[in-house]
Amino acid sequence: MIVHDLLLAIGISLKTSGLAALIASLLAIPAALYLAGTDFRGKRVVLLINQTWMAAPTVVIGLLFYSLLGRSGPLGRFGLLYTQTAMTIGQVFLILPLIIGFSYTALRQVDRRARLTALTLGASRRQAGWVVLREARFALLVAVLAGFARAVSEVGIAMMLGGNIRNATRNITTAIALETAKGEFSNGVALGAILLVITLGINALVQAGLRSKE
Amino acid sequence: MRETAYALERIRFAYSGSPVPFQLELDLLRISAGDMLALVGPNGAGKTTLLLLLALLARPSQGRLEFFGEDPWAGDEKAVRARREAVLVTHHPYLFKGTIFDNIAFGLKVRRIPEAEWPPRIKEALSLVELPGLERKPASGLSAGQAQRVALARALALRPRVLLLDEPTANIEAGLALRIEAIVHEICRKAETTVVFSTHNFSQASRLGDEILYLSDGRRVPFSHENCFSGTAETDGRQSWIEPRPGIRIIFEGARTGHVTCVINPEKIRLFAAGDPAAGDGPNIFAGRVTRLEMTEADLALVRVSGGLTFRVTVPLMEIEAQGVSLSRPVLVRFGPEAVEIIGSEPELRENTHD
Repeated sequence: MIVHDLLLAIGISLKTSGLAALIASLLAIPAALYLAGTDFRGKRVVLLINQTWMAAPTVVIGLLFYSLLGRSGPLGRFGLLYTQTAMTIGQVFLILPLIIGFSYTALRQVDRRARLTALTLGASRRQAGWVVLREARFALLVAVLAGFARAVSEVGIAMMLGGNIRNATRNITTAIALETAKGEFSNGVALGAILLVITLGINALVQAGLRSKE
Repeated sequence: MRETAYALERIRFAYSGSPVPFQLELDLLRISAGDMLALVGPNGAGKTTLLLLLALLARPSQGRLEFFGEDPWAGDEKAVRARREAVLVTHHPYLFKGTIFDNIAFGLKVRRIPEAEWPPRIKEALSLVELPGLERKPASGLSAGQAQRVALARALALRPRVLLLDEPTANIEAGLALRIEAIVHEICRKAETTVVFSTHNFSQASRLGDEILYLSDGRRVPFSHENCFSGTAETDGRQSWIEPRPGIRIIFEGARTGHVTCVINPEKIRLFAAGDPAAGDGPNIFAGRVTRLEMTEADLALVRVSGGLTFRVTVPLMEIEAQGVSLSRPVLVRFGPEAVEIIGSEPELRENTHD
């Protein structure tokens, strides 16, 4: 595997999974905030479905979106199959329940008095919601990073929806699968190590950034 | 005539989904602007619930609540504006992560007060609660008393029209508690801030409150639950008495007949070790054992003595040591007939057994 291809695969991994983590967080954190702060009928069922969804195999999600985005599927006319967009969409649905679950737990652990205190000090309901998010920011960050890690390390969705097209949708994990299939095990292991180093670097950078703000 | 800060009529409030059935019911309550109202009652009486309603953090399920002549719940924006006029300091205050400065600045920020005004206001508020120079200290790691003072400073910095305090000196050591009382009193007078505070401490309520609202089981009651007894009054022409329990007489001054309720101020009851000749003999001497002993404020202890009747007695700490008072020790309580205050005829009232 030449360096150019390697760098491109790393770039595609970071781009698709980073975007998936961002989009999923924007959907999951408000949902978790709502779930944590509101009691309604059927909430337990919602949480149960979310937990079950967390265990969904990547190939099942890949297959589901393959049938939706494929030419004969209901969304086939958009021509998204075998694109980075398709990979991102699939990964969003993969990590959405994970981020909801982790964020829900994080927000439930925020002292209930935080919201009440913000309100009595004059915050609007929205500002009080921000206060709760801010109080749980470290745990929320862990949720987002866990989501990113899950997305960047999965192979089923990237393979089924991206198609492992060289210089277009081949990311690190599909490249590892290809190298392994070719019998180039050492390349596969090296790519795996690169993936871990990248994840480590991102975690370290984000946590250092947060610490400096404290 | 002074403005009315709060007007509550036929208020009903219950916590939804609470496992313990509780309802606050207040038919009428008016609080004048600039007044200091004490809420007194045992745990579960509804003091905190009423403070939450007054802080506009909870909405009554029935009835009318007016805040400075307006309905605070008429629209979201109006509710936020009204809430910014009334700040509640809770019994166990929550401090946000960050520094003490961040905590106090929060309310100023949401009110969009220019940043240039923050430091002097924060400095002044911290000086008032005797925590000067702590602006940059992290809020985590403060003692309960310090946290309560920071929470008070956080409220004072906002200069609200109404200050709501839930047991404001509960976690604060004796001497400082008195100073905090003085600060609150001064703010109420100088800035004409309306203050509503809850307390278990009858003497604190009497000392600070322009008015005292007694609550029990979510309802207004006409008396304190401390040392409240009732019974059928009898008289021999010279003195009168009631028998809250058969054979146990509380003697009071003046002639009365019919069913009466009386209270005895805990500060007017004296405590003696059992067998202490200083207790003397005469009316209103009761034997019992110390079943509770707790420090309140201003070097005072609250002692509960249970015998035929249960009394709460406020005793200086020095006297506790001098008398060798400790838990389960037999003691005598004594008060003069003049200490017994008749608060009216309440046919349905019985001896208080609350704690």
